[in-house]
Amino acid sequence: MSVSTARRYARLTTVLCGVSLHRLTAYRMDFLIGAASFVIRIACQIALISVIFQYVPSLGGWTQQQALFLLGFSLLPRGLDRLFTDQLWILAWQLVRTGDFFRYMIRPVNPFYSLLSERFLYPDGFGELATGIAIVVTAAGAMDLDLTLVQWLLFLPLVLCGALIHTFIKAFLASLSFWMTSSLNVMVAVNQLSEFTAYPLNLYHPVLRGLLTWVLPFAFTAYIPARYLLTGDTGLLLWTLPVTALTVLLGYGTFRLGIRRYEMPGS
Amino acid sequence: MIRAARRYAPFALAGLHAVTQYRSTIVLSAITAAAATALQVFLWREVYVGGSAPAGLPFVHLTSYIVLAQILGLLHTNRIDELIAGEVYRGDIAVSLVRPVNYALSCLAVNLPTAAVSAVLAGVPVLAGFSLFASLPVPTAANLALFAVAVLLSVALAFQINFLVGLAAFVTTNTWGIRTIKNALVAFLAGQVIPLALFPADVVTLLRLLPFQGLIDSPLRLLLGGYGDWADAGRILAVQAGWVVLLTGVMSLAWRRSLRKVEVLGG
Amino acid sequence: MIVAEHVSKHFKRHRREPGLRGSLRTMFSSQYDLVRAVDDVSFEVPAGVKIAYIGANGAGKSTTIKLLTGIMRPTTGQVRVDGLDPHRRRVEVAHRIGVVFGQRSQLWWDLPVLDSFRVLRHIYEVPRAVYDRNMRLFRDRLDLGALGNTPVRQLSLGQRMRAEIAASLLHDPAVLFLDEPTIGLDLVLKQAVRDLINHVNAELGTTVMLTSHDIGDITGICDQALVVDRGAIVHQGTMRELLRSVDTRAVTFEYAAGSVTEAEALQIIAAELPDVRAIPAESGRIRVEYPVERWSARQVIAVLLNRFDLTDVLVPDADLETLLRRIYAGSPAEPVSVGDGA
Ligand SMILES: Nc1ncnc2c1ncn2[C@@H]1O[C@H](COP(=O)(O)OP(=O)(O)O)[C@@H](O)[C@H]1O
Ligand SMILES: [Mg+2]
Repeated sequence: MSVSTARRYARLTTVLCGVSLHRLTAYRMDFLIGAASFVIRIACQIALISVIFQYVPSLGGWTQQQALFLLGFSLLPRGLDRLFTDQLWILAWQLVRTGDFFRYMIRPVNPFYSLLSERFLYPDGFGELATGIAIVVTAAGAMDLDLTLVQWLLFLPLVLCGALIHTFIKAFLASLSFWMTSSLNVMVAVNQLSEFTAYPLNLYHPVLRGLLTWVLPFAFTAYIPARYLLTGDTGLLLWTLPVTALTVLLGYGTFRLGIRRYEMPGS
Repeated sequence: MIRAARRYAPFALAGLHAVTQYRSTIVLSAITAAAATALQVFLWREVYVGGSAPAGLPFVHLTSYIVLAQILGLLHTNRIDELIAGEVYRGDIAVSLVRPVNYALSCLAVNLPTAAVSAVLAGVPVLAGFSLFASLPVPTAANLALFAVAVLLSVALAFQINFLVGLAAFVTTNTWGIRTIKNALVAFLAGQVIPLALFPADVVTLLRLLPFQGLIDSPLRLLLGGYGDWADAGRILAVQAGWVVLLTGVMSLAWRRSLRKVEVLGG
Repeated sequence: MIVAEHVSKHFKRHRREPGLRGSLRTMFSSQYDLVRAVDDVSFEVPAGVKIAYIGANGAGKSTTIKLLTGIMRPTTGQVRVDGLDPHRRRVEVAHRIGVVFGQRSQLWWDLPVLDSFRVLRHIYEVPRAVYDRNMRLFRDRLDLGALGNTPVRQLSLGQRMRAEIAASLLHDPAVLFLDEPTIGLDLVLKQAVRDLINHVNAELGTTVMLTSHDIGDITGICDQALVVDRGAIVHQGTMRELLRSVDTRAVTFEYAAGSVTEAEALQIIAAELPDVRAIPAESGRIRVEYPVERWSARQVIAVLLNRFDLTDVLVPDADLETLLRRIYAGSPAEPVSVGDGA
């Protein structure tokens, strides 16, 4: 991608985000519902943690504050991802079946970008990001967490890698709809699985841990970076970059393959 | 009754035809349901093993509870909220209204067989799989009978809740947000995320008065013998049935209000 | 400008057996039918031409347009638009074409129409001057200003189609593909759309490819015609040549009431004009359809004048409607063959 195309996409993104923000003000009620929906969901997860810690002092070696930090951190990449990629859900659900996917094939921009751009800055991601930040800050404060300079520097890149992993796992699953006409059920199910990475992964059976680390690498979006930030344990941290790169390639490659076999139905 | 059955049978068949087209989806949702169940089992086992074992739900029943809660969840998954919201959003609702059938019943007819088939096709293998790894206690015949009744009521409740949530589309366009709120709250309040018995006692008393507990907590309490005497079992069913009656009233009221809105907007 | 060389597009369609048992069986089988939506089609459309793509429902028109616009790849063969393969060089081609599918929307469902256009301007990198000129054009000709701030999803079908057509023309495309574009428009707007397309073609030399079941669209816009039947081209040429290919024409006449009965009249015609079909038409008229290589209009009218007390005669142009009806009627159900396996 040349500099001029990069500049072009950056400008387009600004325009599209502007339009979206404009729409947000027009549909204020929607925005509030979207933000509230995540606050409520996360409240349920916090409740789960408090119920658990009613019965145990520590869970797999994690204290309640650490578990909360993990939960909060897991929301950051997820929220960032959701801010820009909500349209993937619509692809998984019905864009192929109804034929509306053709829109992204007739525009002179990358079809993946074109697809995502339709829902830039949809309201729901804001709630997730804001709640995530609040929980991380609160939990870190309660623990007197002290990050080293390197940890500070790595914080944002780790969130970004996590967001990319979320995005391209979703892209992979949503692209399955090119073969199955709708892959919403799979996406819902995997999304449900991904929520379990908001809890200490070492609780789970090694097979499941392996699954969540190497097959659906959600571990790299929360458990691994959060553990590094909390304990300085680098463990699998070095794998973050290659795993992210591979996930991006696989997700995007599947999307390209799907486009090649896309058969627009109807009319 | 037979006339009615004949009238709604086409809808049910149409729904079933739709499931059969998504065989791969069913297989995948079985796999992911199994994985989600396993994760939950590990989480709670850790709690039981690592701390003071909760009294509300004996350890022998823990796995049964989690597996069956997941399967009931599948049975309750209907797309009615999504369907209605979509029709309202696109304005197709006007078309549905001119059909000479009761709208709510036709929704139910389309979705019930679908949910049942996918719950059976995905649920039975999951149940079988878990009974291989963990010994699941066999329920008594009486409990099984009570469970059957409670499941029927729970399906009715799930339908009613989804129908009402679908009608929210008349008020907001962010039906996605509304549905997310509903999914989170329902899973939480019904006892799918945390078995209700594990909450603090006062909270349990409160939650068991709400309609949501009728989805998962009630049927499973009856199946696993988590009730006192026959009168207690009767009370559990009565609460469920009471909510079904009450929600039927609410539904018809909300539906009539929404219709007025269709007339005003012209569909 | 548009070239198709031996293009075929085949779809596999899972065989659905009727009934519940059938659909359960379908679930576990992999039998399919092969639908030859486009079958070894070749044609070429020069720049600046407005061509009608004519064929019955299911003849493969929409599929061809999807191939030409890069939405799908042909199974075999090649298509080129402005010298480029529209699927491989999708982005470049997309800059040069405009597309309207009458039943589909390419606008942003939640955005007001004007916002959609603002976004499109950036996506297509339309220069300010061009954008302003075109928006003025759309405002004048399609009354686009009236749609203003309504989100697209709340527009009526007719309003939306106006916006869709305008959107497809915003970036001054070299080629415009229109698949049943006037669905849902009233007569005045249909005319406005036709005028707009003709205007753009005259001003910018835009090549237009149109499918429509509306005869007014075809005659009002197109100067050439391409007729497909069962996925294959059966005629390409100017509109006039197409009409000349009509081999049956008709004369409708009315005679003084009471002079002869209808049955007698039909008998007389059958006796005097062999190979001619006489059909009773509305309000006592009779329609005489004659093969053009056997009879001329003059001969037929001469016989009628001779034998009847005529009060009115109607000799319409060789009309497209008759022709289309024939083309459509000649098309049997869709061309399929059976396949097995994955
Ligand atoms: N995506 C698809 N999958 C399977 N069959 C299709 C698909 N699109 C079109 N067809 C079939 O191809 C044939 C031609 O369709 P189409 O090009 O839409 O015809 P037209 O536009 O001329 O009415 C029809 O038989 C149709 O059913
Ligand atoms: Mg068509």
